[in-house]
Amino acid sequence: MSEPAETANQIDTKGVVVGLVGIYIAGISGIPYLAFLAGIGAIFATKMGADAVRRVCSYGIGTGVPSIGMLALGMGVIAAMFGLAIGKMYNAVFIGPIVGLVLALVIGFVVGSLTNKVIKLNIPVMERCLTEIAGAGVLVLTGFSVMVAGSMDFAVIVEKVITTGYIAPIFILGALGILHPFNANLGPDETQDRTLVHSYSCGAITMAIGGVCSIATIDPIAAILSIVIAAAIWYVNFMGFVRLVQRDAGAGYVGTGLLPPGAM
Amino acid sequence: MIDIITMLATHWISIIGIVIGGICIAVGVHFVPVGGAPAAMAQATGIGTGTVQLAAGSGLTGLLAAGYMYKTLSAAGAVGISEVILICATGAVGAMIMMTTTMIVGNWVYIYGVGVPPASAKVEYDPITKNSQAPYVAPGTVGQGMPTVCFVSGTIGGLLGGLGGSLVYCMLMWVNGDPAISSIFAIGVFLVNAVLPSYNIQGTIEGFHDPKFKRVPKAIVACFIASLLCGIIAVMIPGTAMFGGI
Amino acid sequence: MEPAMGMGLVALMGAAATVAGCSEDLESDIGSQSNPNSQVQLAAQVGYPHRIFNKAISGEPPSNAMYCAVGAGVAMMLLNSVSTSPLLAIAVGAFVAALLNGVFSTTAYMGRNASQTRFNQYVYLDVLRNHVLGIMGHAYVTTFCIVGLSYVMWNQNLIGHPFPFPVIAMIWGLAVGAIGSSTGDVHYGAEREFQDFKFGAGLNAADSGNITRYAEAGLRSSIDNAWFCSKFGGPVTGIAFGMTVFLDNWRSTAFQGWTAVVAGTIIVILIIIYNRYLELYARKNYGPYPEYSGDVEA
Repeated sequence: MSEPAETANQIDTKGVVVGLVGIYIAGISGIPYLAFLAGIGAIFATKMGADAVRRVCSYGIGTGVPSIGMLALGMGVIAAMFGLAIGKMYNAVFIGPIVGLVLALVIGFVVGSLTNKVIKLNIPVMERCLTEIAGAGVLVLTGFSVMVAGSMDFAVIVEKVITTGYIAPIFILGALGILHPFNANLGPDETQDRTLVHSYSCGAITMAIGGVCSIATIDPIAAILSIVIAAAIWYVNFMGFVRLVQRDAGAGYVGTGLLPPGAM
Repeated sequence: MIDIITMLATHWISIIGIVIGGICIAVGVHFVPVGGAPAAMAQATGIGTGTVQLAAGSGLTGLLAAGYMYKTLSAAGAVGISEVILICATGAVGAMIMMTTTMIVGNWVYIYGVGVPPASAKVEYDPITKNSQAPYVAPGTVGQGMPTVCFVSGTIGGLLGGLGGSLVYCMLMWVNGDPAISSIFAIGVFLVNAVLPSYNIQGTIEGFHDPKFKRVPKAIVACFIASLLCGIIAVMIPGTAMFGGI
Repeated sequence: MEPAMGMGLVALMGAAATVAGCSEDLESDIGSQSNPNSQVQLAAQVGYPHRIFNKAISGEPPSNAMYCAVGAGVAMMLLNSVSTSPLLAIAVGAFVAALLNGVFSTTAYMGRNASQTRFNQYVYLDVLRNHVLGIMGHAYVTTFCIVGLSYVMWNQNLIGHPFPFPVIAMIWGLAVGAIGSSTGDVHYGAEREFQDFKFGAGLNAADSGNITRYAEAGLRSSIDNAWFCSKFGGPVTGIAFGMTVFLDNWRSTAFQGWTAVVAGTIIVILIIIYNRYLELYARKNYGPYPEYSGDVEA
């Protein structure tokens, strides 16, 4: 693994701030045409989770890379819905995402400590990374749920996202967005910028599918807006990823050919 | 107007149920014989896949059966303790069916496709059938396939996983009465309680005869705390019906 | 619902599940996914660069759960917003899922191989072009069948399961991935990947990473894995998933309450007994390994 170009603190700050701002603008304004902002926030949160997965999985966690993201999203879905429900119960919708985020950070830290102290996995960054991944999971789930529902109201989200089942693609694509960037770049010559560019493109795929789902739940024009923006983000980052693959593979990026010299 | 204190006071029994369910899942994961990546090359005893994936696959198949049974029973009247027992039994059997069909077909592949007799490398004699194991282990490997002891252990694992998942689902249904919310939360609780034990066994285990099985208490402690947290939060989330509809 | 109708639906679901299981396994064999892929990943590191596809999409169960959940989500959207016919909605959903499969496979192949540059592992664009469409095609079949059987389960006029449609599809996707990686993948990992080793034993740890890199003529790519694995690994995966779906739904459709639980338990006990016979058959016919030098009697 090469030296990181962006430190963990920078990525976390961007993830949390952009994530929350996006969710709040989309949720509070209630204008369907701004719903895509929650998706953009969630893309940054995806990146935050992907970077945490990258750091923790470089230690080798005994079982495959996917497990840690499933753990985080499992906690995340409960924490995210709890935050939104609290907002509804106390008639203060705006506290929802923050409560969900704080709760997820707490659970993430507790579960991270359990893995290190009780199960004795002894990975020094486990607490911090699991905290980050859980936080990213909540922001991803809240962000895309708000985008699909076009509102932060728990009752609306239950009606439009959970009862219809759109939570399922959001849940699993959100998890893959956090896991896939590192998993797809696993290897000794993995570079941070390539992994992170890939995390943007994975987040954009989730956003596009969220946009497709929102055709049925909110305004079709708003949905098409989300899809087009997501497709643009995806295209730019996918091409960026391909360029970085060319850079990292160097002479090994070939159209066709036999095995390298000396290996035949 | 509903507040969280009332929700907690009303639904404390559900928290206990969720914790019991979580521990069932955690113990169940230890029973499932998974060999991880080496087993896929017939290099280790057990099923050739990851712990979490297999436990989740079987437990959630059981959850589907349990969800259907809950709907059938609740149409006939209120769901009490005796109904919950029936639902959990249904879920457990559903998970057991998934697990046994997977293992039997896995053994077909090992026996007919790869041409190896099932054998465990952790014990010299199978504790159930008393058959010798070591002579049947291929050189350079640590066993292959699922001998009877692993098969029975896996069935127990499926039973506990399905039971735990269904119990969590029933408890959540008592709280919010909405199958959509309950199912996705049950999946969440299930994943948390399946991943923590898989860290405990470091990805591979042969079943209850494996020395790693002695680590179960650590997983129970970890999953007790984790499910308690998840349970407390999950029972404070009301269904939409409690807001008087939309 | 009429009992005969219920049985018909269960049989239909079992048939769809059998096709889905088979195509799921072949998809993961062409792409080299899940646990056998650890050897493909290892090969370059121990000095055997290759032209095998390397598709690591976060493990088979989550990736298949993703295709099925996305397929069902898109189908649900079409049913809700423009009320298309279910068949068309499912087909469009499966198509979108196959597109995602293509994107994820491409990035996995490029990313994983670029991360192994120091071991002389090349990124071959022709391998990418040859394989991705085959993988997407199989993923389409899998998703179509699973989303279809989930629709039958969810539709209130048919079986009427209370879970939301995409959640049912996600659970079945997780299950098919778990079954595929436990059964059919072993045929790929233990036989096809190490085809030039002697039959009748698992991979010796000393040979780890020494995968079969040459074909009948020239270099091997993964595209022919479907040809090999469709002889045995794929169909048995289909049987496993079909049996799971059929037996589980059959007992709850044919029997009620505790009778269904008892029926399920009897099925499980029968399978355990059958496994014992299978084990005895293998021990008797194959015998102990001649290399064994310990003192345990065979």
